[in-house]
Amino acid sequence: MNALAGLDLASIPERIQSEVQRAIQRSIKGAEYFSTSGPTLGSTPKDIIHARGTMNLYHYRPLSDEVYRVPVLIVMATTNRGYILDMVPGQSFIEFLLKRGYDVYMLDWTPPRPEEKSLGMEHYVLDFIPDCVRHVQQDSGEQDISVIGYCFGGVLSLLYGSIFNDGPMKNLICFTTPIDFRELKLFSNFSDRRYFDVDRLVDSVGNVPPEIILSSFEMLRPASRVTSQVQLWENIWNDEYVKSYRMFDRWATDTLPLAGEYFRSITKDLMWDNKLFNDTMTVGGRKADIASIKVPILHAVAEHDHIVPYEAAKHLIAKVGSQDKEEVMLKGGHVSLVAGANAVKRLWPKLDSWLGGRSI
Amino acid sequence: MADNSSDPVVLWQKMVGEMEKGLNAFANQTMSSPEFSKAMNQAGGVSAGAQKQFGEFMEKYLLSMNLPSRAQLVGMAERLQNIEGQLNEIKAVLQQMNAGTATSGFGAPRPPRTKRPPSGPPSSGERK
Repeated sequence: MNALAGLDLASIPERIQSEVQRAIQRSIKGAEYFSTSGPTLGSTPKDIIHARGTMNLYHYRPLSDEVYRVPVLIVMATTNRGYILDMVPGQSFIEFLLKRGYDVYMLDWTPPRPEEKSLGMEHYVLDFIPDCVRHVQQDSGEQDISVIGYCFGGVLSLLYGSIFNDGPMKNLICFTTPIDFRELKLFSNFSDRRYFDVDRLVDSVGNVPPEIILSSFEMLRPASRVTSQVQLWENIWNDEYVKSYRMFDRWATDTLPLAGEYFRSITKDLMWDNKLFNDTMTVGGRKADIASIKVPILHAVAEHDHIVPYEAAKHLIAKVGSQDKEEVMLKGGHVSLVAGANAVKRLWPKLDSWLGGRSI
Repeated sequence: MADNSSDPVVLWQKMVGEMEKGLNAFANQTMSSPEFSKAMNQAGGVSAGAQKQFGEFMEKYLLSMNLPSRAQLVGMAERLQNIEGQLNEIKAVLQQMNAGTATSGFGAPRPPRTKRPPSGPPSSGERK
């Protein structure tokens, strides 16, 4: 009744006309939606300078007349594709870095093949990342390297930095990186050691299928899948909304399988024993204590991150041994922190102002 | 600014948003219980076991039909990957050889590593 009392009767015909027009547009654009593919993603020019098994190392072609001395190596999360950081021109973190004068490399992952099920944490931390670092050094001619890790790529970067703490990593930037895995409440419950037989799963399936990874992410917000479809239909007349929806939806559902032994190690060492937080983590028999990291570090966390809540990430800065360290909390969620319109205004300029002076 | 609190479309959007939040919160609460974990993992365990048994059965069936097994196809795929890898290496060598004539990509002249930040080097120290 109150809502009706506040209704502006004079605006009703105009409103009806607008809604009718949108309904017509929805029908037209809806047909277009199903008959066309989404925007091309990850199109910033790049070269694969090294590829081995599940690992690809890209070098992005420079977009500025001069670059900072220290190259940047981005380590992607093993569950997702790297093009989240290179969506479309104008909304590409990679393009932003290139235009600001950084020499950018990315360690991206492809689905591990069945015979790669035996890849464990030690392969990622002691082999793949150091191998890429060597290639970046060789390609750039520089010894120092800045490492940027997104989500679990941040965990891998922390493990790498804590084991190889005498170089060549010069700066470390982590985006939404968990270290207290007890605080990933739902993931913890899904993998409760009393009920979750990780050995049986890995021994049965080899590599953990992407459907399992995707389902566990979607279960964190089970209603959002449906409501996002409703919102898409409402906004299907709006080309910008549809473009953005398609970009993020494609990326979110393009989940990678995880190598079996690697998944087993994540479950047992991190989810069950919380070894990174408890300072008892070892990789391939080598101690990985993040207190041994002494390089400048920036940790960017998202205020509304439902995948890595702040409680899971907040101890990182306190635990690293660096003198030069900073945590920045920005508005946004797990993905919108790094990609999309909000990231353009918030995270990217912050990162540039932090990293530029440390890249000379 | 126009008051749109009585706009039916805005009201509908708010309702959808609130419904989403409510359902997610309710589901998260339900999924936080040990009972949920037990039920979910029991169902998942049965499914994984069945998948393994089915895989073994299919392997035997393919063998009896004189068709290549998964392991053989994987072996073939691995050999193809190796060939692809070698082709990539040859491609990289060729591109490096053409470095003098290339205008972009491998071998293109790289910009000098002389860039300085607009505001000079940073001050270090812990900040939160």
